[in-house]
Amino acid sequence: MVNFTIDQIREIMDKKTNIRNMSVIAHVDPGKSTLTDSLVSKAGIMAGSKAGEARFTDTRKDEQDRCITIKSTAISMYYELSDKDMQWVEGKKEGNGFLINLIDSPGHVDFSSEVTAALRVTDGALVVVDCVSGVCVQTETVLRQAISERIRPIVFMNKMDRALLELQLEKEDLYQTFQRIVESVNVIVATYAVEDGPMGNIMIDPQKGTVGFGSGLHGWAFSLKQFAEMYSEKFKVPLPKLMNRLWGDNYFNPSTKKWAKSKSPESDRGFNTFVLTPIYKVFDAIMNNKTEEIGKLMEKCNVKLKGDDKDKVEKQLLKAFMRTWLPAGDTLLQMITIHLPSPVVAQKYRSELLYEGPADDEVATAIINCDKGPLMMYVSKMVPTSDKGRFFAFGRVFAGTVVTYLKTNRKEPGTLIYICICFMFRTILMMGRYTEAIEDVPCGNICGLVGVDNFLVKTGTLTTSDQAHNMKQMKFSVSPVVRVAVEAKNPSDLPKLVEGLKRLAKSDPMVLCHIEESGEHIVAGAGELHLEICLKDLEEDHAQIPIKKSDPVVSYRETVNEASDRMCLSKSPNKHNRLFMTAQPLPEGLSEKIDEGKDIFPRQDAKLRGRYLADNFDFDVNEARKIWCFGPEGTGANLLIDCTKAVQYLNEIKDSVVAGFQWASKEGVLCEENMRGIRFNIHDVTLHADAIHRGGGQIIPTARRVLYACQLTAGPRLLEPMYLVQIQCPEQAIGGIYGVLNRRRGQVNQTAHNPGTPILTVNAYLPVNESFGFTADLRSNTGGQAFPQCVFDHWQVFNGDPLDEGSKPFAVVSATRKRKGLNETVPLLEKFYDKL
Amino acid sequence: MVFYLIGLGLGNPEDVTVKGLKAIKSADRVYLEAYTSILTCGKSALEEFYGRSIILADRDMVEQNSNELLRDAKKQNVVFLVVGDPFGATTHSDLVLRALEQEIPYKVIHNASIMNAVGCCGLQLYNFGETVSIVFWTDTWKPSSFCDKINENLKRGMHTLCLLDIKVKEQSIENLMRGKKVYEPPRYMTSNLACQQLLEVVEDKQSESENSVLTKETMCVSLACVGSDEQKIVAAPLNQLVNCELGPVLHSLIITGTLHPLEYDFLKICTVLYNESHSNTAKAR
Repeated sequence: MVNFTIDQIREIMDKKTNIRNMSVIAHVDPGKSTLTDSLVSKAGIMAGSKAGEARFTDTRKDEQDRCITIKSTAISMYYELSDKDMQWVEGKKEGNGFLINLIDSPGHVDFSSEVTAALRVTDGALVVVDCVSGVCVQTETVLRQAISERIRPIVFMNKMDRALLELQLEKEDLYQTFQRIVESVNVIVATYAVEDGPMGNIMIDPQKGTVGFGSGLHGWAFSLKQFAEMYSEKFKVPLPKLMNRLWGDNYFNPSTKKWAKSKSPESDRGFNTFVLTPIYKVFDAIMNNKTEEIGKLMEKCNVKLKGDDKDKVEKQLLKAFMRTWLPAGDTLLQMITIHLPSPVVAQKYRSELLYEGPADDEVATAIINCDKGPLMMYVSKMVPTSDKGRFFAFGRVFAGTVVTYLKTNRKEPGTLIYICICFMFRTILMMGRYTEAIEDVPCGNICGLVGVDNFLVKTGTLTTSDQAHNMKQMKFSVSPVVRVAVEAKNPSDLPKLVEGLKRLAKSDPMVLCHIEESGEHIVAGAGELHLEICLKDLEEDHAQIPIKKSDPVVSYRETVNEASDRMCLSKSPNKHNRLFMTAQPLPEGLSEKIDEGKDIFPRQDAKLRGRYLADNFDFDVNEARKIWCFGPEGTGANLLIDCTKAVQYLNEIKDSVVAGFQWASKEGVLCEENMRGIRFNIHDVTLHADAIHRGGGQIIPTARRVLYACQLTAGPRLLEPMYLVQIQCPEQAIGGIYGVLNRRRGQVNQTAHNPGTPILTVNAYLPVNESFGFTADLRSNTGGQAFPQCVFDHWQVFNGDPLDEGSKPFAVVSATRKRKGLNETVPLLEKFYDKL
Repeated sequence: MVFYLIGLGLGNPEDVTVKGLKAIKSADRVYLEAYTSILTCGKSALEEFYGRSIILADRDMVEQNSNELLRDAKKQNVVFLVVGDPFGATTHSDLVLRALEQEIPYKVIHNASIMNAVGCCGLQLYNFGETVSIVFWTDTWKPSSFCDKINENLKRGMHTLCLLDIKVKEQSIENLMRGKKVYEPPRYMTSNLACQQLLEVVEDKQSESENSVLTKETMCVSLACVGSDEQKIVAAPLNQLVNCELGPVLHSLIITGTLHPLEYDFLKICTVLYNESHSNTAKAR
């Protein structure tokens, strides 16, 4: 059944230049998994006729039922390029055989952590765009993620069958639609990538063949290269030249057989004449049952239908015809092998982003050269096995070789200390629904490991070197803002629940499970759908007990909206140490910059950071250089700044003050939510003359108290998370949408027509708190015509003073405090503020 | 009435002054401050000797709950017992200020403290500079400011008395954050550890090519259980003293400055020189 053997794959694994690690990424629903089927069928894992229907990579039952991908799934495939096409492959190559490790990722934004995990282990991305709905928010998000991980994109425009059959677009309109998509993708690329960056030019360009068109459902696809090949012999024009003519403002005049740069009455665009016309003819002939014409076309296109296919009519015949004429698998695999980089090429420029250690140590060199050396493997996610409670560790080998029974060190994320030594029992290849055992896997490949799941929580680095630093942790584009409390229906099942939660935390890169002070078990996820799936998994697979869940609640952030109205002072318990501080809001936009972690980040050189802050956010240079730390967790968007002048031995209490700051910024004074966007200034410090009287026990609680006093005197505010909602709907449904949005405190941002279609796109901001049941509400109010897609977008100030009884934030604060088992009223300033 | 702060001296129950004993007997409540130093004899021995019960006051009580301590002090006599001298190594000045705030009259009954008892090793108290504390280092917190002060003292030829850290009823940082009143087991710094930390600082400073007056060869004196029968005094250069076991805590350490001939003779006669062959080093100074 499979048209390649494990031995063949193992052989090609050593030819690093012939490996392509790629992921398929897109918005929800433009047909990623369907398209992936075409590739899988090409590799012979499933029957060609099933391609487009089986969704091979949707391995879970609920994925098949809901028709969405939830978990990313990996497949290794083998493809041989013809000699003629080999010349297109730039750089070194060894033979015609290529190994393609493909990861199909989910498109729904709630699962975008899966996309992050997939991108980390791949070098190239096939971005699928629905040519009817165009570039959506999630397309932009995943593309941005890909670019920031230095992953080269190619684009495939899917659902051409819909454009032709349902929307009946004219050729020129269709071309314009394609052109618009290419432009919007390139706008995104230009926004997030540096033009002469390490990856070189990564703009997509149909003329170069980095854009594909077709229909995953029907199993056909082409890039300009396919058509150029058909014509180049006939016209005696070299392939690259012809490809250039088939896109853009190149017009062909059939009567004079001349090309021109501008349109004249007789001439038509090259793309329309040579690419779209034949396709339109085929569609027209088959859908209108023009038998004679069909025969002619078959001959012209060199399509020979076999057996049953001959007797089919209309759509079925169309499918068979197109699939034989322009097989999707070949086109896509060609695009992938030709345009995506091999690990050897990619690791050169990705190494600095991946590895935390110095760029010239043994490990870094091995990664850069993708070569033998100490093993460096990054495990990006855990995949549940059929064996209950056990997981495959799935990841990419960046250097060295993984061998069965190898002894490795595991690195704890974020530290340099290696914790324990673990044994890998088995190395496997992931084949969608199946796994295949393999002896060893050399660098540049993706594989799964059995036996290390007990040593890793979610992700981590495996290495054989004592000296190696960690691989960088992944940064997720979404955060777990929605949480529910769960408990076992039957209290005696609690141990099972706890065990189940542990497994759940392992199986999903994003979900957070923890226990509140009040004893509640909290599960936090990216959105409603994500949580729903997680809880279903918990109930059915991980814990296998009936569970009760609370209503979802969102997490808030605490901030301030003005500078402290006085200098805040707190004395240490022994009264010999005094801290003088104030709080003020961070300048607008800085919090987001800190989240991004690109221009300003904790481990940055203080001078560079100072310069940047002074230039872009009007910081005083001297103060900006004296940022003690970020918080919470050392990375959050709050700053602790030393504004003191010549205080002796300040450094000796720095650690204690920082610890107090991490504590306070993690649990703000209002309702113990994280702080965000606050700048704390240390103005003066009075210390006891002797070190023994200013230890951690004295300073840490004092620092926390003074920070709380600062927060209370600086106009404390709550921030609530906001979704950016994109809704696509027909025009007549717009009224219902506005109604639902209004009821739920949503703000419509923009309403735009999708050019050439009767579909409207509405962009709006919606508080996450109001989003529960939003999708169902929207569907019932629009007769099921509107489909929202929510992406976490930003934190927004919750209007009103949370200290003012009767205000909305006050209610939120009280409810949160109650839930957390705290005293319901916010503590008074006097508790933290000491008189001089 | 009166809030008494009474020094208990160096550890033996009988070290209390006659005046102090009278005050204790007249008091309505007696507190014993139990976190800045330890009593070698224990609380029960005190109770037996005074013939009355004593309330232990820990750090939380003294620092954060002083109202309880001073409760009814206007009408009653309250006694606050401090090992050593009330204003010696431990500074209870804050407590006095709080008593004054509430218009409670106070009296201090002094006693011997390690600050003056160090005279037992023969070094003249006049020649001591600023006193420093050496604290327990953690993995991340290694203050070395005491070394700067030692160096300042040395530059002026003065001795430095180093008080060594005592951790009684301390919370770990995790427990402190969670607000759990779980306390770490008590720890007392030995002179070995203090010497070790000092040596580390000296080496650091040398590698950073800062000139440190304190060197590995500087003459130091370790004292254990001063004032008790087990009192033990050892003098040796820093790098040898680090290996010298003194036995039971509490320990103190003195870094000697310029030695007066009489001081040198005293050290030589009254203390065990750790290694006789190294007495030359001391002579050379």
